Amino acid sequence: MAHSGPTPRRTGVWVLITVLVLISILGTLIVPIYARSSPYIGAFPFFYWYQLLWVPFVAILMAICYLVSTHGSRSSTSGPVPSGRDGSGEAR
Amino acid sequence: MSINWVSFSILLILFAIVALVGFAATRWRRAEDMLHLNEWGLGGRGFGTFVTWFLLGGDVYTAYTFIAVPALVFGTGSAGFFTLSYTIMVYPIAFIFLPRLWSIARVHGYVTPADFVRGRYGSRGLALAVAFTGILAVMPYIALQLVGIQAVLTVMGIGGSSSNAFVKDLPLIIAFLVLAGYTFVSGLRAPALIAFIKDTLIYVMIIVAIIYIPARVGGWHHIFGVANTHLTSTNPKTGKPNGSLILEPVGYWAFATTALGSALALFMYPHNITGTFAARRRNVIRRNVAALPAYSVVLGLIALLGYVALATPGVTDQVKAHDANAQLALPFMFRDMFPSWFAGIAFSAVVIGALVPAAIMSIAAANLFCRNIWVEYFRPDASNAEQTRVAQTASLLVKLGALMFVLFVNTTYAIQLQLLGGIWIVQTFPAIVAGLYTRWFNRWALLIGWAVAMVWGTIEAYRLPSPGKPGTHFGASSDTLPLIGHTVYIGLTGLVMNLIIAVLLTWLFNALKVPVGTDETQPHQFVADPEPGAPPPIPVIAGVGHETGAADSG
Repeated sequence: MAHSGPTPRRTGVWVLITVLVLISILGTLIVPIYARSSPYIGAFPFFYWYQLLWVPFVAILMAICYLVSTHGSRSSTSGPVPSGRDGSGEAR
Repeated sequence: MSINWVSFSILLILFAIVALVGFAATRWRRAEDMLHLNEWGLGGRGFGTFVTWFLLGGDVYTAYTFIAVPALVFGTGSAGFFTLSYTIMVYPIAFIFLPRLWSIARVHGYVTPADFVRGRYGSRGLALAVAFTGILAVMPYIALQLVGIQAVLTVMGIGGSSSNAFVKDLPLIIAFLVLAGYTFVSGLRAPALIAFIKDTLIYVMIIVAIIYIPARVGGWHHIFGVANTHLTSTNPKTGKPNGSLILEPVGYWAFATTALGSALALFMYPHNITGTFAARRRNVIRRNVAALPAYSVVLGLIALLGYVALATPGVTDQVKAHDANAQLALPFMFRDMFPSWFAGIAFSAVVIGALVPAAIMSIAAANLFCRNIWVEYFRPDASNAEQTRVAQTASLLVKLGALMFVLFVNTTYAIQLQLLGGIWIVQTFPAIVAGLYTRWFNRWALLIGWAVAMVWGTIEAYRLPSPGKPGTHFGASSDTLPLIGHTVYIGLTGLVMNLIIAVLLTWLFNALKVPVGTDETQPHQFVADPEPGAPPPIPVIAGVGHETGAADSG
């Protein structure tokens, strides 16, 4: 993903993002995890409330991804305006 | 069926407001040079996080969400919930590649995904393939919007009861003429502005519906009980149960592969890429990835309304009386459960919720036609004003194409229209997404992989009849895969086939030293974030020459 000499810190950020993204995708891709009726919440079988709960959960994971990706770039670029032309906007 | 004049009046009033806003949108964020395709086709590329959230929400959540998904749940139960899984998976996938696509498009002034492919691979053929696929794939998607509007009009008793085909479709034609009119005049600004009204109505409708109706029909225990009874009973047409409340193991593969295939396909659709390119900054895209799941909650709740409709007295009988058209289930429930005035608001929400994406889809397809077919092959030195005029005209033709789909494709489950579009559009995934990371793939290998998957996928989909209706075509979108013995979404099988061919042929072509073509992109441009003040470059078709391309001054 990086084209020139990624710092260890930036690599760490991308590893974290990759893990969070994979969790987000696999959570509902692996159907046997949740294709069951119990436990219930109220009248709702597990199949339904698991999926519905997964929506805000993924939103939170994505918000974390966004925050660490912007944080990583701010601390690794020098100068007030990161411009794409000189490649300093790397991890943004 | 008699018309409820209260509901009808509210629909008319809201429709008139939307039409006015649509035409007035041309003045919103007005640019000096409105005849630049960046203005008509991308709203000036200046939308911030807030507007983009509404625009992409208006793009992604369509009549598919409001009509097709609950219809599928009403008819088949848990299998319909793949749509929720799909809208959960789509944002993590988008988080990975969408910012890169935005950046490279911004640096080079690309208006369409095919522009990017053209610049990245130096291949007119591959760009044409991407453009053709995009135009083709949005047509059934627009058709799905038409089916949604039709469902509401039928339940309202407007036109639907007449035996005269012209009178029957007249309200739909009027709605579409108005849509075509404001799209033509205002371009992307119209759906972006109307999306605010659309989403307000949608959120109000869904919150009221999910609180009010279940309590009226006897609570969720009752609803799930009725749904279970219905789903486990045998369907006389197919001789099998209607569906299941909890997904059976036999359905796992179809569920997961259709969800994944749809998620991979979603941001390949030209209208969603248009919504992405219209954003002002790179971080607008990332913030939206975290904020857009709010709509997935809505999709989940609307899917549940499919069960509520099953438990609502009279809905099942009325659906049966209308040729078992499950798409009518939700509108019937709204009509019977809500007071007339609120039913009018709910109907308006569905109709406007279909018109917004239809406008964006036709604009995106028109951009593709203009940039990657008209300018590329016929008028390389077309001025910006001419490009905009061509795109405006093309947006009308695309809508006509969508009408053809409604007439000729089986619409028992309108969701099949979207899944058919997905089978096609996901075949552009290797060229676009792989191209964002690597130039390893050979352009001819990608083109051949695409062609094989497109032809195979289309034939497969054509051969599949609707359940219980032998002899029909395009009735399903997943089929048993011989090697693994599971039912798999054709789009995903095609994508795997596509990728394998592209990899093998790239090896072969590299060994044969087939020319790789020029690449006008630079690695750092994929992560660039140009200042919003800096005007994007005038879109110039690469290779044509900057002198001729830049000769237009508007």
